Amino acid sequence: MNEFVLCINNEGNPASLIVGKVYRKLPDPEAESRHMLRIIDEDMSEVDGYLYPASMFVPVELPEEAKRVLMTLDR
Amino acid sequence: MMPKFKILNEIREIETIASGRGVYIRRHLERTYGRGRWRKMKGIATVELPNGEICEAEIHWYEAHGIGRRDFKIKKVIQ
Repeated sequence: MNEFVLCINNEGNPASLIVGKVYRKLPDPEAESRHMLRIIDEDMSEVDGYLYPASMFVPVELPEEAKRVLMTLDR
Repeated sequence: MMPKFKILNEIREIETIASGRGVYIRRHLERTYGRGRWRKMKGIATVELPNGEICEAEIHWYEAHGIGRRDFKIKKVIQ
């Protein structure tokens, strides 16, 4: 299952993350146990994303249509 | 600005992953930090995670001559 999060803080990574933008979160229970999320950031050439502190994001629930569109952006 | 994880020692096993047009976020890097010959790099370092855990991790970053290393991020934690 895929989820989306909204970036609320890009401190340290202003080129890789844009505040106010929705990013896809990949399931990674191990990362989440460390208070981190696996995110597909602006560097979409990395299909398995990067680990970022969970505090840089908030979860968002998107309409199905928006989810479909954002999923098609994956490389 | 500091990343929200700390790199505790020298980065080792440094390799270039991409350069020139192969750097996917080149335009973001130029807009944020300035124009340069941006390269995407990777290496291994001891890091302190946001939860205080200290471990080895594969880290990636971007760098350009005259600008330096920017946008450090963790690719994976090495057990």
